[in-house]
Amino acid sequence: MTSTAPARKAVVDAATAFEIQDFLYLEAELLDERCYAEWVNLVDDDFTYQVPTPRTPDSPYKPHWDDRSLLIDESKWSLMSQWFRRFDADIYETAWGENPPVRFRHVLSNVRVHRLIAPAAYEVRSNVVLIATRQSDAPRYLSGRRTDQLIRGDNGFLLTRRRVVLDQVLLDFPQLRIML
Amino acid sequence: MTAVEERAGQVNRARWADRELFDLEMARIFSRCWQFLAHESEIPEPGDYVLRKMGRDAVIVVRDENGDVRVLLNSCRHRGVPLCRADSGNASHFRCSYHGWTYANTGELRGVTYQRDVYGPGGIDKSRLPLYAPAQVDTVFGLVFATWDRDAEPLAEYLGDITWYLQAVFDKYPEGLEVVGTPVRNVVRANWKTEGENLSGDGYHTAITHASAFELGLFATERDLVKLADEIAPRFTGRTVCTPRGHAMRVQRLPLVLDGNHYFGYPADMWPQFDARLSAAQARLMSALSVGHGSIFPNMSFIENFKTNVDGPDLHARYVRITIRYPIDATTSEELWLYLCPRGADSDWARLSRLAYLRTNGPSGLFEVDDTENFVGISEASRGDVARGLPVVLDGGRHHAPTPPEVGWPGDVVDGDRTERTIRCFHRRWDELMADPGEAGR
Repeated sequence: MTSTAPARKAVVDAATAFEIQDFLYLEAELLDERCYAEWVNLVDDDFTYQVPTPRTPDSPYKPHWDDRSLLIDESKWSLMSQWFRRFDADIYETAWGENPPVRFRHVLSNVRVHRLIAPAAYEVRSNVVLIATRQSDAPRYLSGRRTDQLIRGDNGFLLTRRRVVLDQVLLDFPQLRIML
Repeated sequence: MTAVEERAGQVNRARWADRELFDLEMARIFSRCWQFLAHESEIPEPGDYVLRKMGRDAVIVVRDENGDVRVLLNSCRHRGVPLCRADSGNASHFRCSYHGWTYANTGELRGVTYQRDVYGPGGIDKSRLPLYAPAQVDTVFGLVFATWDRDAEPLAEYLGDITWYLQAVFDKYPEGLEVVGTPVRNVVRANWKTEGENLSGDGYHTAITHASAFELGLFATERDLVKLADEIAPRFTGRTVCTPRGHAMRVQRLPLVLDGNHYFGYPADMWPQFDARLSAAQARLMSALSVGHGSIFPNMSFIENFKTNVDGPDLHARYVRITIRYPIDATTSEELWLYLCPRGADSDWARLSRLAYLRTNGPSGLFEVDDTENFVGISEASRGDVARGLPVVLDGGRHHAPTPPEVGWPGDVVDGDRTERTIRCFHRRWDELMADPGEAGR
């Protein structure tokens, strides 16, 4: 199968689990509020964000995504200098696709520390529903499974990696420039 | 004379939103024209298939056991149930989930379950019931096309002079191009024609729609250009090509004064390979290319694009992309995105090329986000009862000078980067086909 079955026993203590969950809620809130300058402080310099292409495979034993082709492949540098930069006051008026901005809402659930990568380095899985509302349109949503990697630094957690596999194949969303 | 020539600027907005026109397009364009389906690299082995569409009909594009590419309507001859439910896979046979009729991947009906019980002692004549298939299938430079029209001219004639340009884009790599992985698919709430018009050669919108990309360093600026050549020319120059069947292309060149061919955005060891495979005139087309993009009537577009600073300062790369728009209704389309990489390319460069694609003209790229708002907006605003009867303006570039014939580019070629002539070329062909009732009306 494409994913390993989750272990029954919790891999971290309750306090750590709560801290991690709270970190992810804060991180999602910063994205929803478009507080990108604050958001980048929550990710490591080597952060990568990848979304493989969803597909309908010809067998239940194959993944419903294709890692050879990506929908999104970003780094902290590209997010800061290409993605979030378009929302800055000096250029947002000509970043036409973001103006007016699509309103995004993250709904996060099933947050669970999946495994310990190293001492103070965690792999965390969660389900994410991203709701997007463009102008006067009805909201549309995408659902997916996040696999995040986090480290605990001196000033709290940092995201080192985010990978999201989407459920929908024919993507019906206002735009695909999305932080899942 | 068609509407486009006769009443310049009198193409009405209904063309991007009207349901009846849409239905007529399905009959008079998508039931007749050659349509791009897939790249051969997507189905390298016998039995490999991908699911695609011709208009609103789903078709299986499959390599049969003899290695031939077949296109089969994805609908059982018995009761019409789809045979393939996956986007891609490998199968020597397709078996229907309803009553179990089984077809070879050539489309031939091989098995009918409980045949004598159901259809009598003589069974059923299986030879009369292969899967429906387009009348003609053909391939050029790895690009697979098909048409339902048995009277359609051969693909080579249909493509005509645009073939020379397709060769320059798709056939300059010694080991060929390959589509990387599964294509992204998404719904765009725009008419199927809009993006194809843009990609046919709209160099007019770039500086406005994509203004933010200049700020972000994704277009070559003086800072980048001085590192590519000793001498910089005053401005980017562009040229467009139109052909009678509605296929068109725009080529924009970097403003550099250069000796010889410089295929910026590719590793230097690939440059002599391009020189060897391209004619002298094709090499000039590809040298110092800023961007080349075109549309093959009705719904396929291609782009080869040089993008700068895509993964940090001075990290530039070119990429090749194909997009297809499938019509869903007058204001809704499905888009397919194929990113192609030269086989055997250096892996670091291939990564950079992929990032250049994804971050600019990929489905999540910032150019696409800006473009899509315009395309969606056209259909939104053209639905209105007054708006639908109003014309658009498509007169740009009528005064531009023809390219001197000694340049050696085939087709109707004109110098000038900001033009609407390629869009007129598309709609001239659209007018011709929409005015022709074909067999049914004769």
